Amino acid sequence: MAWLLLVSVARAQQPLRWGADPSGGAPYVFNDPSHPDQYIGYEKEMVDALAAALGRKAEFVPSDWETLVSALQRKSFEVIINGLEPTADRQKQIQFSKPYYIFQLALTVRKDDERIHSLADCKDKVVGTLGNTAASRLLQKEGVPFKVYAEPPTAYRDLEFKRIDAVIMDVPAEVFYVSKKSTTLKRACDPFFRGTYNIGLRKGDDELKTQIDSAIDKIINDGTFEKILRKWGLWNDAQLELQSKAKPEQQNIDVAYDVTSSTFNWREAVWRLARAAVVTVLIAFGSMFIALIVGMPLAIGQWKGPRIVQWLCTIYVEFFRGTPVLVQLLFLYFGLPTIGVAMPGWLTALIGLGLNYAAYESQVYRAALEAIPRGQWEASYLLGMSPLLAFRRIILPQAFRIALPPMTNDFVSLFKDTSTAFAISVWELATAYRELANASGQFLMLGVAVSLYYLAMSLPMAHLARRLERKLQRREAIEAVESEVG
Amino acid sequence: MIRVSNLIKSANGTRILRGVSFEVPPQTVLGIIGASGSGKTTLLRCLNGLDRISDGSIACAGVHLDATLSKKEYSRRLTELRRRVGTVFQHLYLFPHLTVLGNIIEAPTHVLRVPRKNAETEALQLLESVGLKEKAGRYPERLSGGEQQRVAIARALAMHPEILMFDEPTSALDPKRTASLRTLLRGFVEKGHTMVIVSHSIGFLEGLADQLLYMEGGEVVEFGDADEILKSPRDPRTKDFLEQAK
Repeated sequence: MAWLLLVSVARAQQPLRWGADPSGGAPYVFNDPSHPDQYIGYEKEMVDALAAALGRKAEFVPSDWETLVSALQRKSFEVIINGLEPTADRQKQIQFSKPYYIFQLALTVRKDDERIHSLADCKDKVVGTLGNTAASRLLQKEGVPFKVYAEPPTAYRDLEFKRIDAVIMDVPAEVFYVSKKSTTLKRACDPFFRGTYNIGLRKGDDELKTQIDSAIDKIINDGTFEKILRKWGLWNDAQLELQSKAKPEQQNIDVAYDVTSSTFNWREAVWRLARAAVVTVLIAFGSMFIALIVGMPLAIGQWKGPRIVQWLCTIYVEFFRGTPVLVQLLFLYFGLPTIGVAMPGWLTALIGLGLNYAAYESQVYRAALEAIPRGQWEASYLLGMSPLLAFRRIILPQAFRIALPPMTNDFVSLFKDTSTAFAISVWELATAYRELANASGQFLMLGVAVSLYYLAMSLPMAHLARRLERKLQRREAIEAVESEVG
Repeated sequence: MIRVSNLIKSANGTRILRGVSFEVPPQTVLGIIGASGSGKTTLLRCLNGLDRISDGSIACAGVHLDATLSKKEYSRRLTELRRRVGTVFQHLYLFPHLTVLGNIIEAPTHVLRVPRKNAETEALQLLESVGLKEKAGRYPERLSGGEQQRVAIARALAMHPEILMFDEPTSALDPKRTASLRTLLRGFVEKGHTMVIVSHSIGFLEGLADQLLYMEGGEVVEFGDADEILKSPRDPRTKDFLEQAK
């Protein structure tokens, strides 16, 4: 008995580790702009109040929204507190506390937009939202085309850049990013929908759940939480419902999850993965095409061009090889619109990866071209060929043979690099995997499915490349065998 | 015919050819001999238009090159010269990605725009004349050194050159193959070809070359009738070289 007491005391003295995604996480929890090494947010303050009620200290574990549930299961932290809604899917993997906040959804459009006054007006528009949220499930259910973002600010920025027509977001985020400060965006209509935020816990942590539930009751009923919400401009009369004395169990049933709940639909998942795979293939082939085309003048410029051209080509190559492709994509996607060039995400990825790989291809070409003996040029000239003809008919075919294996390698790595398009909200295969797997917890099976997709795309390519290489190198092979025999 | 007067070739500040002059009538076989570094290969590269001359002039295969020509005109004539001479390099430089037949018809079809069929017919005749007709479909790597050389000769002949030039044609051949090459070239002589052969092998040139040119240090030491020079060289340096070569 004393032993048990000791254990629970020891546990009580340990900090309450809680996980949330602070990236674009305002007003829930985010980096304090004036003290970037500190986190602030209404949920941060709420957790501090909860921890105080539990007699523990709170310790924040910054995580990633999409992987919160799996991180909880991996015991990276004890609880998820991040405006998390108790969906049926999540309830298969984790359990939830009683609700602590009742949220609504806000539909945001550009100030000058007179077309959209409700979600129904968005059927033929594109609406931005966060992945795996009540809003995204509502859009899916209503059949509204939507685009998934990792963070609210990027969604609102794309709305301003006219890449999308509207953004739907939980009211707290909308209040923080739009209502409070935006001059270019407005609410299309009054907030609608009703959902709850609950605290996520591991299944089996029942003792902690009981403690947390009573702590939630305490801070709601003694007005602590109301004070916090008012401070952040998030208080509304809907929250009064939580102050009523209904039993926790009853509360859970009352809350209307059914609108938003989703069980995992394998057929749909495979179909969505297939669509994502098509995007991956298009980006990979499109950007490789650009790389192969742009790489050639770069290689020739750096190899035989006048001094100034050599310099410019070298600067290009070193710039694109020396900076991460992720940074280049972010720059193209978010940087260029400020000077008036706003491309959709997939085109940005295609061009960005293409320009990046052009730098690599140019080096492959250059090495291959330089590997051709000068005598091949001279022999061509002495047969009366012009430099262009000699290049096209004699030098290029030989260089291609040398360049093919490294080009194949580059294509395979380009194929994998398409996953960086995730950063600019392109729904390609890796993004799809992350999102679907985090939503369902089916990391294993979906991982197998995604791998199969990748292999189904890359294996035929590798096979083709190998066959071409073999065809080109067969002669050397025969030669080698003959000299061995001889 | 070939006329060279006061030819000077410098590269990187050093003079490789220091005022070379000689004249060869048409349908003549000129043998150029000399030790390594004597400038004989450079002379050949000036004659076939690969290297640009620094001073003096060359008249070769009906093209007149003069160091004082404007750059544009010089380039134009250089292209013309290259088309009119055929060269067989020491290292041959066959095109490895093309078959034997492909090597031979490449320039006729793309430079002279001869229809492919005609070019192939002619190429097969040429291959027959060098004894390689049955290897037309092979790739150069699959041929022996001697066979590769004969492909290179056929490739040069396919452009109907006025002058045929060889750089060290015997360097990679055994005595038997050297003899058969000699027979082949003698056949060309009888057909009236003009040839320039750079070689260090006196034995190979004996009875093949009409005229000999002995070079040392970028200068012509002795030039004249091949039989006379081989029998009784006038310059002691030529005499030394010929004795060492034996």
